[in-house]
Amino acid sequence: MTLPDFALARPDTLEEALALLGDDQVPYCGGTELLLAMKVGLQRPETLVDVKRVPELRGVRSSHGELVIGGASTHDDLSRDALVREVLPLLAEVEAHVGNARVRVQGSIGGNLCFAEPKSDVATTLIALDASVTLQSSSGRRTLLVRDFIVGPYYADKEPGELLIDVRIPLVATRRGAYVKFQVTERPTVGVAVVQDTETGACRVVVGAVGEIPVWRDWASVADIDVEELSSAVDPVEDLTGSERYKRHLTAVFVRRALRDLERSS
Amino acid sequence: MSDPSAREDVIGQSVIRRDLLEKVTGAAEYTVDITMPGALHAKIVRSDRAHARILDIDAREALTLPGVVSVITSDDLRGLYPRFGHIIADHCILAIDKVRYYGEPVALVLAETVHEAADAAELVRVTYEDLAAVLDADQALAPGAPLVHEQRYASSDDDSFRLLTGGKGKVATEAAAELSNVAHQVTLEWGDADAALREADIVVESEVHFPMLYAYAMEPYNAVASYSADGLTVISTAQHPYMVRDDLARIFDLPLSRVRVRAPYLGGGYGSKSYTKVEPLAAVGSWVARRPVKLVLDVEESIYTTRADPADVKITSGFTKDGRILVRVIDMVMDSGAYADNSPLVLAKALNRSFGPYRVPTLRATGRSLYTNTAPASSYRGFGAPQGALAGETNLDQAADRLGITSADIRRLNLVDRDEEILPGKRGLDADIKADLEMVLASLNRDAKDVAGYGVGFACTASDAGAYPVSTAQVRVQTDGSVTVLSGSTEMGQGSRSALAQIASHELGIDMSRVQVVQSDTAITPYERTTGASRTTTLVGLALQRACEDARKRVREMAAEIMACDGDEVTDVPGGVSTPGQAFLSYGDVIKAWFGAAAGEVTGVGLVRREGVTEKMPPFWEIGMVGVAVQVDSDTGVVTVDQLVTVADVGFAINPQAVEAQDLGAATQGLGMALYEELVYDGAQLANANVVDYRVPRATDVPAKLDLMIAQRRDGVGPYGAKGAGEGTLNPVGAAVAAAVARATGKWPDRLPLTPERVWTLISDSGSAKE
Ligand SMILES: Cc1cc2nc3c(=O)[nH]c(=O)nc-3n(C[C@H](O)[C@H](O)[C@H](O)COP(=O)(O)OP(=O)(O)OC[C@H]3O[C@@H](n4cnc5c(N)ncnc54)[C@H](O)[C@@H]3O)c2cc1C
Repeated sequence: MTLPDFALARPDTLEEALALLGDDQVPYCGGTELLLAMKVGLQRPETLVDVKRVPELRGVRSSHGELVIGGASTHDDLSRDALVREVLPLLAEVEAHVGNARVRVQGSIGGNLCFAEPKSDVATTLIALDASVTLQSSSGRRTLLVRDFIVGPYYADKEPGELLIDVRIPLVATRRGAYVKFQVTERPTVGVAVVQDTETGACRVVVGAVGEIPVWRDWASVADIDVEELSSAVDPVEDLTGSERYKRHLTAVFVRRALRDLERSS
Repeated sequence: MSDPSAREDVIGQSVIRRDLLEKVTGAAEYTVDITMPGALHAKIVRSDRAHARILDIDAREALTLPGVVSVITSDDLRGLYPRFGHIIADHCILAIDKVRYYGEPVALVLAETVHEAADAAELVRVTYEDLAAVLDADQALAPGAPLVHEQRYASSDDDSFRLLTGGKGKVATEAAAELSNVAHQVTLEWGDADAALREADIVVESEVHFPMLYAYAMEPYNAVASYSADGLTVISTAQHPYMVRDDLARIFDLPLSRVRVRAPYLGGGYGSKSYTKVEPLAAVGSWVARRPVKLVLDVEESIYTTRADPADVKITSGFTKDGRILVRVIDMVMDSGAYADNSPLVLAKALNRSFGPYRVPTLRATGRSLYTNTAPASSYRGFGAPQGALAGETNLDQAADRLGITSADIRRLNLVDRDEEILPGKRGLDADIKADLEMVLASLNRDAKDVAGYGVGFACTASDAGAYPVSTAQVRVQTDGSVTVLSGSTEMGQGSRSALAQIASHELGIDMSRVQVVQSDTAITPYERTTGASRTTTLVGLALQRACEDARKRVREMAAEIMACDGDEVTDVPGGVSTPGQAFLSYGDVIKAWFGAAAGEVTGVGLVRREGVTEKMPPFWEIGMVGVAVQVDSDTGVVTVDQLVTVADVGFAINPQAVEAQDLGAATQGLGMALYEELVYDGAQLANANVVDYRVPRATDVPAKLDLMIAQRRDGVGPYGAKGAGEGTLNPVGAAVAAAVARATGKWPDRLPLTPERVWTLISDSGSAKE
């Protein structure tokens, strides 16, 4: 468990950062996943390109009806950010309960999505909020919904030369939501996000962590939600936190709990 | 001055820990902080399979890397005694001929830097021929099972081992007669069990499985060693430096006096750092390279170095219809892994702690410790008692249900009285355990709730504690009256440094700030057999009291000489002596006058052996008395411990806050095994050899309501009537939680930990939670 040798680059501008990236030159933000992967020998990059000094990846702002979150924002930043707390208290709450204190002060929202660890609260919540990511390489920029960005376990739709610049969440005044999770170890066993447009009644339920990628469903109203269908639609990964049977059961329990919390939310 | 009322201000007071500030600020020195000039760094090449013959070890490529100095295999240990083990010398320093578990050290790479050693270790090519493996107890016992060891090894001829295990009655503790995977077996028997079972009004049978655990300490194993013409020096994370010294002396055939083992602060041990672990590896590295060698394991490697014994226990108890125990029959099997380490003793203790502190007129208890192709098991805080108590206590509760009496009443009826023997021929119980039980019941009843999913459970244990009473201490009184206390007992977080300072301060009548305690350096501090079995306050405390008495006697004799008076005219006063000629002479005055210069010192020596108050074994009984109230979420199976009640029956609390902290720590660790912790083998390899997936208790798991009580009846053999603390409160926690969950769900669990899925299965399936 010793970190192999590597070079560290600390670009100050986006152009510099993008120019440095390559197959063996990888983005490095909080390092909470990357350095562990390197320690156990899963990755041995030549250069870590630290993205934390790139201005485009920092800060939170609201722009054209969207909340724009810099990709290097840490979980802790977002849980405390005044704007996030005001316009998206659900996200602030989720971020406040990610992993543990060390992971929250170091780990970033961009790193979380790019690593695509299946046991993520963040991806589940962002899919429910219909968020998208902005990716940029030296040859251009593209936008992708988070639900399309997360392709598989530990697999995001991202080229080696691309950086996740920011996460964009549409701000809808009539929206309310809830997130509940079951967690006994460092990461969630099941996470359920539910978001509803109170004007139309339409809602989306996303179940994360339990399977390899989040499963989501849109329903016309809360009354339409078929909990049984959802718990049979998930494809649980059996591990030390539970068998398939137990995880399906938990899925149903936590979807119901999320709906209960949704009713209580304003 | 041994009259405790004389200076109650020091003893019996919660004092600030001596190591507090330096530990909180990070200044405290641990083994990992220690470097030696010119040291090489070592990395272990480990077996990647459970059981295989080693055909070849090719280090050529590794040796070409820059900075690599040497790759050592068992072939390089010719001329040394290549094994260690304080009971059975079966443990290869580096695998000889074959590997017996995934993770076993096969070779040791030495390089100039940690990185170079790690890179080179990956290039050492080991060719194996796989052998059929036994990965658990059932496989080990199966007819025709492959043998983990095809030979027998030298067993300790130390009689104390036998004395630690048995009682009077009929006791047999031995290695099996024929070659098999049985490393050790113990039988404890009195009366005719079969006849007693026939006479019983009711017979209650139960079976439990106790999980495989890791005694997680924040500090992984590490050591730095230097071998030279002058001898061997090893600094290490050893709870028992003297025991490690003995193993090292045998390996190198060195006189004990030329092996120096030093243990700075330990970053937690909980039994996992008892006995020899990585010291021989660092030492043989230095012996080969003739340079100091530093070896630091990570958590995963530490888990593969030593774990705790899981146990399968069958217990059958016969009762009269009014609830009196007539007979208990116990059969226990422990999976002790590839090497014996301390498991034979753990087995013996688990067995004698499985039938409880009850009047058991007839007993037949048999246990086997098995070799398997898994990481070696050894001591864990509580020493077999958690395994034994889970079986015995839950069986008693189930009997109470069958008899239609309460769990409290069945215990009231059967618990032994003060001075009554639990083990025939051993020390009678030096505690009022019935009074302790009432304290727990009163506290639980005060806060009782009547809601669905809520359950209360409690359990009690008494362990033969203190281990073998061989303890020595020295005090060196300086010319300014300040004092150095020397003890071979290790400060491992339990607070012994403060307790020993309190005792010396009280005994010599000097301020605690003038007492310095120096511990655990076999070249400097006097012999201490072990730091375990909750013994330090009691046994080192006694030795220290005697050392102080000896020092005072010497000072009195010197005072008589310099004041030209009769010896019995000199009396002790706090900080010095009083003579007819001079009402107060400080220790310093006397020492300086006697030596005739502003120089000199007086050394007092205190010795403890099996004699006088410590003649009878065990030195003391350590009570475990715990109650819990739990809330079970029937949707998820999550168990939340709402209330924890403990009684520390310590005779006299020299440092009450330290006693409470030990109990809270022990109980919390117990909640770990009750609810979260279990090492899981997936084939040859552990599925959770890390602390993300091996879930230890967190601060947020500590119950909301705590009632940590201390019973002080001055009934121990230690200083001022003290008995030890530290292990006792852990022992009954698993059983208490199991009982509480049974009360909450209406079903008896038969294994720990009670993870959410297990409890949910228990609730939702008919039958038991068996897997
Ligand atoms: C112990 C532990 C517990 C955890 N618990 C939870 C939990 O409960 N819930 C949860 O949701 N998550 C959890 N996580 C995941 C955590 O949120 C992520 O580890 C963290 O957010 C990753 O961010 P980072 O900045 O450290 O990424 P890094 O480790 O720096 O990078 C991760 C990966 O993303 C790439 N990358 C990073 N930033 C960018 C970028 N801007 N553009 C392109 N690629 C990039 C890196 O190249 C690397 O491949 C846990 C993690 C740990 C270690």
